[in-house]
Amino acid sequence: MKIDFPHQQFAHCESGVTTNLLNYHGFPCSEALVFGIGAGLFFGYVPFIKLNFLPLTTFRTAPGSIFAKATKRLGIEVKREKFRDPLAAEKKLDELLAAGRPVGAQTGVFWLPFFPPAYRFHFNGHNLVVIGKEGDDYLISDPIFEEPVRCPAADLRKARFAKGALAPKGKIYYVEKMAEQFDVPGAVTAGIKEVCRGMLKTPVPMAGVRGIRLLARQLEKWPAKLGDKQTLLYLGHVIRMQEEIGTGGGGFRFIYAAFLQEAAEILKNDELLDLSNHCTEIGDLWRDFALLASRVCKGRATITDSFADLADLLRQCATEEQLLFTRLNATICR
Amino acid sequence: MSSTLEYELAELIINFCNVEDVSPSDIPSESPLIGPDSPFGLDSLDAVEVVVAVQKTYGVRIGGEKTSREVLQSLTALADFIRREKRE
Repeated sequence: MKIDFPHQQFAHCESGVTTNLLNYHGFPCSEALVFGIGAGLFFGYVPFIKLNFLPLTTFRTAPGSIFAKATKRLGIEVKREKFRDPLAAEKKLDELLAAGRPVGAQTGVFWLPFFPPAYRFHFNGHNLVVIGKEGDDYLISDPIFEEPVRCPAADLRKARFAKGALAPKGKIYYVEKMAEQFDVPGAVTAGIKEVCRGMLKTPVPMAGVRGIRLLARQLEKWPAKLGDKQTLLYLGHVIRMQEEIGTGGGGFRFIYAAFLQEAAEILKNDELLDLSNHCTEIGDLWRDFALLASRVCKGRATITDSFADLADLLRQCATEEQLLFTRLNATICR
Repeated sequence: MSSTLEYELAELIINFCNVEDVSPSDIPSESPLIGPDSPFGLDSLDAVEVVVAVQKTYGVRIGGEKTSREVLQSLTALADFIRREKRE
């Protein structure tokens, strides 16, 4: 049994899954629009929460929130379920598939055999859509891949019940009922306001623009505090979170720039085009940071000479993002 | 190597990523650029270097929905992307 599902490859798993699901259910949209309405852009540096023994650094909101917020803002009814028992989780998935419903699922990348071994790592926030079952194989639309893939039931079970940080606990989600009408301008406006709030007005110093500055301050101290080996692990982790996890190098700032371009058309607001260009420039600035950091990790630049420059680049990113989101907030609230 | 652009890209990657003991003519056009099967021996950290080198040299940005994962599949994929972006 296979659902006729319009699989498309996208830059990031959760916004890609949401886009494919919404396209299937009759709301044609781009990944950028979903990412923007779902307020996916964020920055957080939480040194006391460790992912693979390294401080949590995130360039997006928590797993699951893009789907939840995008669908809510578009007035779409969805259902989310978690399970304790893997067999009960599988039974429910099979029932939904038998009813012809494509099902989103949170999984651990490490257990998915269709990922090349080099890309399998312990990250439990990976999203995909299950679109059918043939024999003992599930048919899967994973937006990271060009074509739908197959996954043995036993492997998907392990991936859905992977242990550790962000453990998925068998989480599935699916569309129950589409809205009859979509207030796209309203949803775009609400998404933008939330991102501005998250980046500018967070009460904790680990989030938004303040979080970027905190990372800059701490990063400068890493070589003296941690020693060379640990410093390089910490730095490599930041770049992987920025350039690799979920984005395949796309970079959330570039996706958000594409969203602002679409938002300019939807809201008939040309100022958003300028802000889109600014967001792309900020993406390039983050990439300059990643470039220097990767050179340090690869031994092409020295630790002693580079950490002050890396911290300066982060401070520039913070300054530019503060400017961008202040202007964005002003134009959207006008 | 099937075209000049692909040869140029192989040279660019070798220079930017300090790849040793490999000549541009040794690189099959369809081989993966990144990962354990890469004849350059590049990993995901090198991918950032390649993306920036391509942007600085050819003025095309690999970002947004056109991901580096897709574009960095092989020299052919990278060359096709640059040709397409230059035409637009």
